[in-house]
Amino acid sequence: MSNVMERITVAQARQLIADYTYTIDDGVLSDWPTYFTEPCIYRITTRQNEEMIMPLSIMLCDNQAMLYDRVEAIEKANIFEPHYYRHVLSDSKVLEMDDESIRMETSFTCVRTMLDGRVTLFASGRYSDHIVLEEGRCLFRTRKVVLDSSKVDTLIAIPL
Amino acid sequence: MKNSENPLPVTWPEEGVRRIPYAVYSEPEVFEHEQKAIFRGPIWHFLGLEVQIPEAGCYVTAQVGEVPVIVVRNDEGEVQAMVNRCSHKGTPLVYTPQGKTKRFMCIYHNWCFNLNGKMTAAAFERGVRGKGGMADTFKKEDNGLQRLRVHVQNGLIFGTFSDETPPFEEYVGPELIANMQRVCGKPLRVLGTYSQKLPSNWKLYIENVKDPYHASILHAFNGVMKQDRLTMEGGITMGTNGWSHISWSKMKFETGGEVYEEAEMRSAEISAYGFGLRDKSMTDVWDDFGDSVSMTIHTVFPNFVLQQLRNCLALRTIVPVGTHESELRWIAFGYQDDDERKLNGRLKQSNMMGPAGLIAMEDGMIGGLVQQGIAGSLDKAAVIEMGGHGIEPIPGSRVSEGSVRGFWTGYRALMGL
Repeated sequence: MSNVMERITVAQARQLIADYTYTIDDGVLSDWPTYFTEPCIYRITTRQNEEMIMPLSIMLCDNQAMLYDRVEAIEKANIFEPHYYRHVLSDSKVLEMDDESIRMETSFTCVRTMLDGRVTLFASGRYSDHIVLEEGRCLFRTRKVVLDSSKVDTLIAIPL
Repeated sequence: MKNSENPLPVTWPEEGVRRIPYAVYSEPEVFEHEQKAIFRGPIWHFLGLEVQIPEAGCYVTAQVGEVPVIVVRNDEGEVQAMVNRCSHKGTPLVYTPQGKTKRFMCIYHNWCFNLNGKMTAAAFERGVRGKGGMADTFKKEDNGLQRLRVHVQNGLIFGTFSDETPPFEEYVGPELIANMQRVCGKPLRVLGTYSQKLPSNWKLYIENVKDPYHASILHAFNGVMKQDRLTMEGGITMGTNGWSHISWSKMKFETGGEVYEEAEMRSAEISAYGFGLRDKSMTDVWDDFGDSVSMTIHTVFPNFVLQQLRNCLALRTIVPVGTHESELRWIAFGYQDDDERKLNGRLKQSNMMGPAGLIAMEDGMIGGLVQQGIAGSLDKAAVIEMGGHGIEPIPGSRVSEGSVRGFWTGYRALMGL
């Protein structure tokens, strides 16, 4: 037998999505860029902009440096009331798959809790992901967050 | 104090517009009176972009204070604006933010209106088999939609309910018209929209926009990245009577930046950590207008903003929802002749604006914090004395709250306060 090529599996991709979610919800922002390839695309947009074929993003990073800049801005420069996220995810729908990559979609809701105890349903939407296998590890080549609502409550500091 | 001339529960302090009574941000009677005296009064209100309604029958919806409005292009190619309310029972005629139609037809009783708002038909107007039907006194020509007067300035559509509103050019003044020609002088392309629900009175947001004093302090990102500091060459240009304004700066021309370190500013402390952007593509800017002016924040009284942050262009409208809530609506735009590099540059730089804006993020929450701080102190007032007492701009300086005082000058005049 020749070398066995490792093939990407749906279970691996799901594990990436779960690990990412816990990293965000646990507040370990500094690890956030490690879930992406270089280059990559992370963007937050709205369902309305998607339907109107409008390219605007609420947040857009297309390389590792931009991801780290965002983390550093959130941790050092930007001012906002401290808060936590709690994501709840659906099963994923696989759109396309080959040996090295998967395109899949996952629905989410995100509850935001402020330090004074205010709890709100902050966002709902879907992740549209392009996940690839690089050196035995699954990473996001693209993670597009499509918010169902075009209206954001106050601000989005922490990535979704 | 309540009396016959001033029925509002607010007494303006003797000092004038260098004091802002906190009651104006919180009292329901003030909110109610603003709807009539300001939003349905003699002001020009932003309604949308011509490019959003390219053909006859294309419409967008807007909101002027509490009033829902339709902006539509009629069969003659003219822009028309009318209240989104059937003249029969008051049902809205359209429900989607944008669309295309031949006429406006009410779902409730089929009253129909043409693209000029004129009533053309009603269901069973003559009854059925000669019985029933509208009373003899009913005339379609008396039951058209309520219309707004419209002015289109470089593709930006403004409307007003009042016959008293001066012509737009007179309302904003020649320098502001010149800046609209500068930024919107060629065919625009809408890049997208979104909005923010803000936990504050609408005036706390517009005051923030009109206040260049805070920009490099609250927004540490600005100060640290030397994107916009008060030590850069810049100034404030006032519109007619100071009601509207432009704050502008040139990032390439800066002197005296050490005041940021000397005043123990947060941005200077953060710089000391060695914070700087790793990615240079977002700061890869170009001179869109050939004048080295890297930032213009331009307001039109009472609640409209035209923004140029480097190459990041946007329109903002702050819509009052209640005493303690408002909605900030954004439209990002570029130009139809933008090449791929410029389009991508604008999209990247839009990281600075909106709900996740590296610069704009704090503007969404600061009004809510002020609202928390002033609770229970409605007999007290804010102190607005940077740059003096009046609204005269200081040549070559933005270290002034003169434009904030200009907003309140207009506000007091219309509100009778």
